Amino acid sequence: MAETIVGSRLSTPSKGHEAGYRGRARVGDLLVIALWVSSAIAVGLFLVSGGTARFGSVADAVTSFGIVTGLVGTNFVLAMLLLAARVPFIDRAIGHDRAIAVHRALGKPAFFLLLGHGLILLIGYGLASGINPVAELAPLFAIPDMWLALAGIALMAVVIVSSLAAVRHRVSYETWHLIHLVSYIAVLVSIPHQLSIGSVFLPLSFERAYWLVLYLLAFGAILTHRLLEPLVSSIRHDLRVDRMIEEAPGVVSIHLRGRRLRSLQATGGQFFVWRFWTPGTWWHSHPISLSSAPTDTGLRITVRELGEGSRSISAVKPGTRVWFEGPYGVFTDAGRTAKKLAIVVAGIGITPVRALIQDSQLLPGEASILLRASTPDDTFLWSEIEDLARDKHIAITTMIGKRSSSGPGWMTEDAARAGMTLKGLFPDLAESDLYLCGPTAWLTLVEADARAAGLPDHQIHAERFDW
Amino acid sequence: MRARATITGVLGSAVVLGVAWLVGSGTGANSTGAPTGAATAAPSNASSVSGTFAGASESTRYGSVQVKIVVAAGTITDVVAVKLTDQGGRSVQLSNKAAPILRAEVLKSQSAKVSSVSGATYTSNAYLSSVQSAIDKAGI
Repeated sequence: MAETIVGSRLSTPSKGHEAGYRGRARVGDLLVIALWVSSAIAVGLFLVSGGTARFGSVADAVTSFGIVTGLVGTNFVLAMLLLAARVPFIDRAIGHDRAIAVHRALGKPAFFLLLGHGLILLIGYGLASGINPVAELAPLFAIPDMWLALAGIALMAVVIVSSLAAVRHRVSYETWHLIHLVSYIAVLVSIPHQLSIGSVFLPLSFERAYWLVLYLLAFGAILTHRLLEPLVSSIRHDLRVDRMIEEAPGVVSIHLRGRRLRSLQATGGQFFVWRFWTPGTWWHSHPISLSSAPTDTGLRITVRELGEGSRSISAVKPGTRVWFEGPYGVFTDAGRTAKKLAIVVAGIGITPVRALIQDSQLLPGEASILLRASTPDDTFLWSEIEDLARDKHIAITTMIGKRSSSGPGWMTEDAARAGMTLKGLFPDLAESDLYLCGPTAWLTLVEADARAAGLPDHQIHAERFDW
Repeated sequence: MRARATITGVLGSAVVLGVAWLVGSGTGANSTGAPTGAATAAPSNASSVSGTFAGASESTRYGSVQVKIVVAAGTITDVVAVKLTDQGGRSVQLSNKAAPILRAEVLKSQSAKVSSVSGATYTSNAYLSSVQSAIDKAGI
């Protein structure tokens, strides 16, 4: 991908980035509009199918409101599936992390709409028949599909609870992911009651066809991009562990070899979700960034032994088969929006940056980097960055030491005391893309500093190594 | 960018809802025809009419409804539901609840001009329309 744009990029570098950003922002806008309008269409289906006549009495109005909450909630859930499906069109436009952020933001509203759907309908039915809502339960659950719907909302509650910040940090990624897969079942078992009890999606109606097409799109996207495409790609490229190189204590570069890797169109700064086929590791997958620009026959990733998972993958043997999903992410040259490039990076966060600058065509003075480490042991890959910087005329600043307790917490004590600021480090900050990568807590501090300095959101590109 | 997209989305949604409401009201008025109270002039020999008379099949969006009435010497003695709404579990439930109430009302008032059962408006209207057409056929 990189080689095709070398010529044009060097002649008009900044224009390309800004125009590219405007194009992606338009797609992002379209997605926002699509979410609104599709929710309105869901309500519209109810109105068109005779719903307007059902606001006459209090009981009817409550019942109608209950139906509407169910429709909008379901529409949200389908949108969430689509956002998490890693559809290339969506990920390229707004980035996988932003897609997931929207997915997360929709989670609780969707759940409360669906829970409200059940409760409000019970009240509506109770009002209509003049008995208390609880007495409505028995006749309602005489219909088998209702048990499925109840199971659906219960499973969804489990998924939501497992994703609450407080709980999510306590369970391993694998456990959380396994629980999250349950949401597919939750969504599927809620379909029958919509078709059999619901009055909006009658057999052979336009409403039913439209609704089922939405389900097909959402599950089709998941099936294609989360299952089939990665499977076919993994088999086709036949990726294997080639060799391991220790970069620093506890930090290992894993070189992978495969076939026709160029057709993946991966670029520096992107990540893959890897699965190493050894008895102890095959069942969990790890999102890890490339740590150098990909070639047609080889990829390199660099991992630090953090969790249980990364310890076991830093011990895999050469020849191990590796399956992958990806490439993902817009922490790349293609994600740029402004004329200049400012990079702030700490610890293991160096890996995507190393690949990013290797894969970027830069004008002299276009980019500057701040390398940050807490101890000299954390300066792995710095020499590679320095070599690249010399070739590409990138300015480098380094900061080694514990985090400052007085000034900006992301700097070293010395730098903070010397009155260093983000603007001081990057004089062209206002017209720069700020690329940040490192530990989440540290990264959040830099991000806050950048916002305080007046940098708009689209110029801040943060790659977080959590999930 | 973001704010503009949200505003466009909200406006677009409002348009969709507005159109849907208009379309819904239009079809709603057509399909929920209230029982035709067309009181045909009763023939003189009304009191001698006996037999079973099937009403017209009235279609609703939850399926069709048809009743037949049993008449003995000009008096409706029974209303039998030939077919009740059957699409959607909830509407079956409502139909089963509404039918006996409507039957009792029709027998009591000897006409189709009774109030519909709340919460089962579609079924009620179709049921009473069918009763009315059966009464017309019987000529009582």
